[in-house]
Amino acid sequence: MANEVEIVKGASLWQDAWKRLLKNKLAVFGLVVMAIMAFAVIFGPMILYWATGFTADGIPENGDLIKSFPPSLLHPMGTDEAGRDLLARVLQGGRISLMVGVISTFVSLIVGVSYGAIAGYIGGKIDNVMMRIVDMIYAIPYILIVIVLLSVFGGQNTPGWIQYLSETFGGAGNQGLSQIFLLFFALGLVSWLTMARVVRGQVLSLKNQEFVLAAKATGVSTFGIIFRHLVPNTLGPVIVYATLTVPSVMLTEAFLSYLGLGVQAPFASWGSLASDGVKNIAIFPWQLLFPGLTMALTLFSLNFLGDGIRDALDPQTRKF
Amino acid sequence: MLSFILRRLLIIIPMALLVVTLTWGLIRIAPGNFYSSEKKLPPAIEENIRKKYGLDKPWYQQYGIMIFNVVKLDFGNSLKYQGQSVNEIIGRHLPYSATIGILAYLLALVVGLSAGIIAALKQNSIWDYGSMALAMLGLSVPNFVFGPILVLFFALGLYWFPPARWGGFGNVVLPVITLSAIYAAYIARLTRAGMLEVMRSDYIRTARAKGLDEKTVLIKHALRGGIIPVVSFTGPALAGLLAGTVVVERVFAIPGLGNIFIQSVLNRDEPLTLGIVAFLSILIMIFNLAVDISYGFLDPRIRYE
Amino acid sequence: MAESRFGRSKILFTFIVLCSLSAGCLTSANSRYFGETTPPKDNILRYVSGGEIESLDPPVTNSQPDARIMFALYEGLVEIHPKTLEPIPGIAESWETGPDGTQYLFHLRKNAKFSNGDPITAKDFVYSFRRGFSPALASRNAYLGYYIKYSEAYNSDRSFVKDKSGNFLLKADLEPKKDGGQVTEPAAAQSTGFGADTEFNKYIKGPERLTVPSDKKERDALLAKDAKLSAAVQGKEFVPVKPEDIGVEAIDDYTFRLTLYQPAPFFLGLLSHQYFRVVPEKVIEKYGDQWTRTENIVTSGPFKLAVHRPYDVLKVVRDPNYWDAANVKLDGIEFYPLDEATTMMNLYKAGSVDALYNHTVPAAWFDEIKQFTAEYSLQPEVADEFYVINVKRPPMDNVKVRKAFALAIDRVSLAKFRKTLKPLVDMTPEGIFPKYEEVREKVYSEELKKQGSSLEEWKARIFEPEKARKLLTEAGFPVTPSGDGFACPSFPVDKVNITYNTAESNKAVAEFIQAQWKQNLGITVPLKNMEFRTYLPLLNKVDYDGFARKGWVGDYMDPYTFLSLYYSENNEGSTGWWDPKFDKMLDDANKTVDTQKRFEMLAKAELYVMQQQIIIPLGTNTTSWMKKPYVKGMYPNPGTLFPWKFVYIEPDPSKWTTDMDTIMKDDDPVVTAQLAQLTASQDAMERSKATKAE
Repeated sequence: MANEVEIVKGASLWQDAWKRLLKNKLAVFGLVVMAIMAFAVIFGPMILYWATGFTADGIPENGDLIKSFPPSLLHPMGTDEAGRDLLARVLQGGRISLMVGVISTFVSLIVGVSYGAIAGYIGGKIDNVMMRIVDMIYAIPYILIVIVLLSVFGGQNTPGWIQYLSETFGGAGNQGLSQIFLLFFALGLVSWLTMARVVRGQVLSLKNQEFVLAAKATGVSTFGIIFRHLVPNTLGPVIVYATLTVPSVMLTEAFLSYLGLGVQAPFASWGSLASDGVKNIAIFPWQLLFPGLTMALTLFSLNFLGDGIRDALDPQTRKF
Repeated sequence: MLSFILRRLLIIIPMALLVVTLTWGLIRIAPGNFYSSEKKLPPAIEENIRKKYGLDKPWYQQYGIMIFNVVKLDFGNSLKYQGQSVNEIIGRHLPYSATIGILAYLLALVVGLSAGIIAALKQNSIWDYGSMALAMLGLSVPNFVFGPILVLFFALGLYWFPPARWGGFGNVVLPVITLSAIYAAYIARLTRAGMLEVMRSDYIRTARAKGLDEKTVLIKHALRGGIIPVVSFTGPALAGLLAGTVVVERVFAIPGLGNIFIQSVLNRDEPLTLGIVAFLSILIMIFNLAVDISYGFLDPRIRYE
Repeated sequence: MAESRFGRSKILFTFIVLCSLSAGCLTSANSRYFGETTPPKDNILRYVSGGEIESLDPPVTNSQPDARIMFALYEGLVEIHPKTLEPIPGIAESWETGPDGTQYLFHLRKNAKFSNGDPITAKDFVYSFRRGFSPALASRNAYLGYYIKYSEAYNSDRSFVKDKSGNFLLKADLEPKKDGGQVTEPAAAQSTGFGADTEFNKYIKGPERLTVPSDKKERDALLAKDAKLSAAVQGKEFVPVKPEDIGVEAIDDYTFRLTLYQPAPFFLGLLSHQYFRVVPEKVIEKYGDQWTRTENIVTSGPFKLAVHRPYDVLKVVRDPNYWDAANVKLDGIEFYPLDEATTMMNLYKAGSVDALYNHTVPAAWFDEIKQFTAEYSLQPEVADEFYVINVKRPPMDNVKVRKAFALAIDRVSLAKFRKTLKPLVDMTPEGIFPKYEEVREKVYSEELKKQGSSLEEWKARIFEPEKARKLLTEAGFPVTPSGDGFACPSFPVDKVNITYNTAESNKAVAEFIQAQWKQNLGITVPLKNMEFRTYLPLLNKVDYDGFARKGWVGDYMDPYTFLSLYYSENNEGSTGWWDPKFDKMLDDANKTVDTQKRFEMLAKAELYVMQQQIIIPLGTNTTSWMKKPYVKGMYPNPGTLFPWKFVYIEPDPSKWTTDMDTIMKDDDPVVTAQLAQLTASQDAMERSKATKAE
């Protein structure tokens, strides 16, 4: 059985998975695009600035240049209404969007999976209480949570470690960026809920299967059963759900930005660029086209990669 | 089973009160109030307003009055829309969101389930990649982009449907499509994953070994187990859809509950927010209960003690 | 490899073509007009009115979008002129101003009726005014009427002080006696009565009574601080100010008299505000706060309520009981509560609505839309846009620093970028009060000459980066050239912000200003975007760092509506600045009856406050709204407010509007005739007064 294999030679599972992943063309494509994207958003703004002098917040000094130009050699993605280079904005927006996606999904994975698995496996009263807590958090309007979080911890009250994070990774020691970090946590706070429900549902259906009963009989601890036997078996839906979380969190961020609770101007995110662009879709289509395409390409690759990892981690899939 | 359902139904009441309490606390912590505007009010007028709405009383008294009324299911009048009771507002706007939401979810179920099943059955074929790519498109195009694009082509280009507002059947088409896209995508992906997971489990192998034909295996066994993730997702999603989706409502100018909910939070319209939160939390808990019950039917291995 | 890359770019190209095609079809369908242009057949105007109305109770509503609906449903003593917003006869056929400017006499029409057929009399106005000030109603607009005698005292729950013999303590009793023991108030008491000399008039024209808070705690706190007051009220009775005590009076059924504390030349214009419009006493007393429900409501305006589906539509239809129903040209109006700009532009383009409210055309669309001159209006508005400065927190407490930041913004570029903002360096908007501006020009050049400067120098403040850097250096923050730009390393950037509330346009302006300061001063001021209700307390309590965005819409057509922003210690200017000298300048100006002199004094006050640079003016707003060419009698006036009975739908395309920019000057015979008929009564009144004076 798969579990025995895992216990006997656990180390080679990951090597096997890696080999299988490399055989999957789409997954490799996804991996390469994600790597390029990560490189581009981390180093792109610096390279672009060095090469052309364009920055995400650089409004041209010449008043005649303050308007939206279509794509050209100088501005491959065109400019926005304030004459800012869209490529620079897309690269900088990628930092925020990818960070939002990664951090929130990470929270959702860690918290959601363990929470759901524990609730599902232990069952009974504990399950009941745990899931009712999830229901409750669902019902509280997250906008309210974000407003309170930003007002209690925002501005001068921003905790030092959030400021440190924003200064170190945000690229600028600016109060606006601390807000986006607060936002990551707020989004993480709500994004794990559905994950917990999905995992619990899976665990409920798995926990009476033979391999779990066998593990119980051989004296494996509850912790061991949950995290060594049950969680690996829920990976399929979990990875799929995690790849679904990334776009949904990015869109939530865009919506919060639209309400004034998200990313601070002059910085942008892909979501906020797209929502700005869509208003002018009939006049300046490039304002939507490029941020939209970049975002779509990233999400596509992420999805292919997610599927690839899922297949690679699961040797049985090859049988179909 | 019956006692399980009863217990779960009973617990909804204290849970909803707890949610209302937490929300009330959050509203009180949040900065700003419902009456301020860009024109600063003279202190006397501000005092008149505070007196009128009982805001001059100590907080525990205000809380007591609020929770007492909530227990009676009387949320009082909206602060922003004077003379209109919260119950009336919810009752008036729920049908709009519910119509759009239910239609969108039905559409999403039909599209999502078929795409997901086809993809799972023909894994790694062109069908699989095609439907998953479509699903991914549904996910990566935000609805605030998708809606306006639909409007641009079908309302302003081809004049097939009106661009916005509530009205006849024509007004419903574009918002329903916009809203359903993301749910269809979710359902397609979850179905595919769930089906793949189930199809290699022992009981399907047994069913196959028993010589059942592929169709029976698929529908009676694989599908039932395979859509468990979809069912988990449906509970909260449907509750959210019934209560409206703010973006679609704003883009298409539909007088639904979702926009009113967000506005009530932004307006600090406390009774309205609390009323909708209470309604929403009850809805979510009932839907989740329904989900938990359906687990038992879908997968005989799941038991509730 | 090369082939596939070509293939991909081809797809991209197709997509771009598709998109630009869609852009093309935006305009190409009908080159003269924007989108579908067919007049509605049922003579019902479809108007996008902005956010959902808060209430149908006039004094309760607060916003401009609400005001537009109120104007259709209710009428007051005066109505607005469709082009100038000046008062024209409403339910009052004519009016007179008293000799000292503190009293008004309104002669009401005998045929005015509520929508249920009940006659509208002076008593209804007395009721409506008193109700507006009642603390229980808690109207946010009550301050608009505080010029009316004792209205503020009633609204804020204060009491008169009465001694044992029944005499009331006067305000003058506590004021320090001036030379020769003369006080200003008794003079007013002796002024001749205006209109019938009733008992009430004797009281209300009498010397101003002293008022103290009715609430014991509050009063004791006040008395503890003021020994003189405490001694004066000792052993006396406190009589709460009642609704009957405020300065409104029905002399007979059709004569209504208003009494103010002091002359307020702009007050007549203010009376067209929905706060002062007449409401039905019987219905309100019967239904309480449920009187505005569709089944109960009774209105007084040209239209009555037919349908109200919140967030969807509010429909009004012509009221046959309205006194001037014969001249109400539309059969009805549908108000759509929308605030999503793209959505309403789509509806407009599809021909599903006939007109939009102001500031609705997105700046990005401007170049596309401005060719439709028959539909798009870009006229100056009685509103301006500025950044307030928190003058209490360093480094912005230094006037030199404030001036430096104000000078370092290229307002011409800003106007080019925003399109709907006209450059502005003063406090009152440009192009709205032409008479005042004329006087101001003169006053400024005289005053500035005295100070060794000139008008030209003053006007150059539109953009002076050199001077800005010099000022900042003088203030102790040296600006040095660095690379292509400048640097100012000693400036404490962490102590300032640009705080603004969420809105597309606010964001664009803030980004622009940030870039300007970065380029011209080498200082990157962080931006701080806030959800509206989080931002309001910061603004109202002056609890922000550096700069905050503020806009101001005038309540009436007089420069005082802008200058009064910084009047009194508890002013609503959001800067923390207050100067008794400025207050005195405004008070003196308002006591002056002569318009020319008053404007001179106001101009001096404006110069005084602008030299403190407590705000950074950015621009005068413009109307920026659209209407279909077949909608007539609807003018791009400075408030975007409409007396709806003038509006009509013209089916004949040859009579359609051709140019929104000249529409204000063009003569529309239909409107002109209607106006002449309406104003005849007041013109006659003024003529007869003039002959009497001779």
